[in-house]
Amino acid sequence: MTSAPISAGPDDPSAVETSGRIPLLLLLGSALAWLLVSGLLALIGAIQAHTPEFLARCSVLNYGHVQALQETAFVYGWIANVGLALALWILGRLGGQPLRAGAWVVTGTLVWNFGVALGLVGIAAGDGTALPLLQMPAYVQPILLFAYAAIGVAGVLAWTGRRRQIMFAAQWYAVAALFLFPWMFSVAQVMLLWVPVHGVLQAITQGWFAQSLWTLWMAPLALAGAYYVVPKVTGRVLPGYELASLGFWCLLFIGGWTGGRHLIGGPAPVWISTIAIVTSTILLSHYLIVFINLRGAIGGPGTALKFISFGLAAYVLGGFVDALTSMRVVALTTQFTWFDEAQRQLAVYGGVSMMLFGTLYFALPRLTGRSWASPGLLRGHLALSVTGIALLVVSLGGAGLIQGRELNDAAKSFATIAADTRPWLIAAAGAQAILLLGNLLLAVNFLWTAGCCCCCCRPKAATEAFAS
Amino acid sequence: MKNGFLFFLGLFAALGLSWAGIVLGSNAQLGRLTPYYDANEGQAFPAPLPGVAAEGQLVYRDLNCAACHTQQVRRPDFGADQARGWGDRQSVARDYIFQSHVQLGESRIGPDLTNLGGRKPTAPDAGDLENLLYAGQGGMPAYAFLFERRKVLGQVSDQALQLTGRLRPARGYEVVPTRRAQELVAYLLSLNTVYDYPESRPAPAAPPQEGARK
Repeated sequence: MTSAPISAGPDDPSAVETSGRIPLLLLLGSALAWLLVSGLLALIGAIQAHTPEFLARCSVLNYGHVQALQETAFVYGWIANVGLALALWILGRLGGQPLRAGAWVVTGTLVWNFGVALGLVGIAAGDGTALPLLQMPAYVQPILLFAYAAIGVAGVLAWTGRRRQIMFAAQWYAVAALFLFPWMFSVAQVMLLWVPVHGVLQAITQGWFAQSLWTLWMAPLALAGAYYVVPKVTGRVLPGYELASLGFWCLLFIGGWTGGRHLIGGPAPVWISTIAIVTSTILLSHYLIVFINLRGAIGGPGTALKFISFGLAAYVLGGFVDALTSMRVVALTTQFTWFDEAQRQLAVYGGVSMMLFGTLYFALPRLTGRSWASPGLLRGHLALSVTGIALLVVSLGGAGLIQGRELNDAAKSFATIAADTRPWLIAAAGAQAILLLGNLLLAVNFLWTAGCCCCCCRPKAATEAFAS
Repeated sequence: MKNGFLFFLGLFAALGLSWAGIVLGSNAQLGRLTPYYDANEGQAFPAPLPGVAAEGQLVYRDLNCAACHTQQVRRPDFGADQARGWGDRQSVARDYIFQSHVQLGESRIGPDLTNLGGRKPTAPDAGDLENLLYAGQGGMPAYAFLFERRKVLGQVSDQALQLTGRLRPARGYEVVPTRRAQELVAYLLSLNTVYDYPESRPAPAAPPQEGARK
C-alpha cells in the first residue's frame, strides 16, 4: 500500500474484459432497469407526499407500500447490481486475472433479480416486513442470500487468485463490501425475521443492520470505484495515500456503531444514542481522509470524474450533516422530519449513486470495447443528475426544517404543517421527475452502447479501448 | 496491506464488534424484561394484545403505516410530544414487550400513535377511527380499500359507518369495514401506555449538596 494503483493494469486487459463481458453487462443492465423502476416509484411517492389522495384508492400503491417498494428497488435492485458488477470488474483488473466462474455470476444475477422482483410483488401484496432496508418478505430473503453467494464466488476467485500480494485501496473497499454483506444480511434475517428478538430490541437490531448496510456495504462499493477511477484518469498518485488505510479501517470499525442516532429520546437505552453521537463525530475523520485522497477528482478531466467529484462532495457533506443531526440539540428539530430524508438522499443518491455512475461511465467503454454511443446523452445525464439532486436535497431539507419547527409547536396542527411544507414537497417531486429523466438518458445510452457491442464486437476492440 | 488472512480477520472483527456491542449489549440489558406486577392494581402491565389487535398489528405492518407514524413518545424535555397530548410520560422498553412487530417509526408526517387508546381528555373510539380511515383527513389519504360499499339487505348493518355530506352512500347502500379494517382499528385502540412504570418516572431531583448555601 505504498503507491496508488495508477500502474496496476492487468497483464492481459483484453482477456480480463472479454471474460467478464456478458455476466457484468447482465448485472449492469439489471441495475439500470431497477434504477428506472425505483425512479418511477420515487416520483409516485413524492407526488403522494404533497397530494395524499394520489393513487390512494389502489391498495397496491398506497404511500407506505410505495416507500418500501422504492427503497427496495433502489438498494437491492440498483445499488446491489451495479455495485457488484463494478466491484468484480475492479477486482479482476487489479488482480490481473480474467473473470472466473462467469456462469455462477450469470446464474446468481438471474436468481437475485428474480428474488428482488418477487420481493416487490410480496411488498405490494402486503407481505412486507415494514423494517427499513429489510422490507422484502421473509420468504424472499434466503433466495437473495443464495444468489449473492453465487455472484460472490467470482469475487473470491478474483481476490484469492490475484497476481500481486499488495492490495490497493480500491480492492480493500471492494472486498470488504463483497464479503461483509452476507454476514450482516443473514444475522438481520435470523434476528428480525426467523427468530425475532423481543420488543425494542427489534428496533435496535434493525438500526444496527441499516447502518452496517450503509457503512459496510453501500459506501465501500462506491468508494471502491472512486479509488480505482480517480488515479487512473488523473494519472497521479493519490495525495495522502498513506492515510487511506486509516480512513478505511475507521469506516469499518466505527461505522456500525453510529446507527443509534435515530433512537434519540426514544425507548432504547440512552447509551446507544450517546455512542452513536460520539462515533458519528469520530467518523468525520474517515470523510476527511476520503476527501484528501480523492480531491484530485475535482476539476479533473472527463465525465466520469465530474460524476465522482460531485459524488465525493455529496458523500463528505452527507457525513458532516449526519454528525450534526446526531447531536441532541439539532435532532430536537430534525428528528422524524423530511430533513432526515434529505440527508439520506444526499448521502445515498448524491454520494454513493453518483460515484457509481462515474465508475460506470469509466468502466463500460473498457468492458465493451466501444466508447459511449452518445456524448450528448451523457452530458444530459450529468446535468439532470446534478440539478435533480441539488433541488431534491434543498427542497426536502427546507421542508424538514419547517416541519421540525412546527412539530415542536403544539399549537400547529398536522394540516397546517402539511400546508406549509407543500411547496417544498412539490419542488421535491419535480426533482424526482428530473432525476428519472436523467436516468432514462443513461439507460438509452447504455442500451445503445451495449447493443452496438453485442452486434459488432471485434476481438481487438477491448485492447484498443484499454490502450486509449 | 499484504496479509490477506489478517485483512479478513479485521473485516470480521469490525462487523462482529459493532454487533456484539450494540445488539448483544442491548440484549443483555433488555432481553429479559418481564411485565411489571402492581400489587395495588392486582394486575401486571403491560397486558398482552387481544387476539384481534394482534392481527391488526399485522395489518399495520402490511400497510407500512410506520412510513408516516411513529410509536415512541420522547422524554418530557425533548420536543412537544407531551404538549401534543401523545402521552404523559416517555415510552420505555417495557411498553413493547408484547408487540411481535415493533414499529417505532422514523417519520412524523402524521401524529404519534403510541398512546392512541389512552389519549386525554378523550381517546377516539372505533367509529371515529373507521371514519378517519374511510374518509382521510388533512395529510392522511383515505384507505377506502379497507371498506366495502354494499347494498343493504334487510336491516342496515350495525357496523355500517355513520357518514354525512358527500361521503354518505346512496339510498339503499351502506359502507361497512372489512375484517382488516376492524383488526387495524382494534390494534390502534389497544395502544395504551397510560400506566406509569418505575423506570418511566422522571428521575428525582438531586439533593442539595453540602455547602451549597455558601
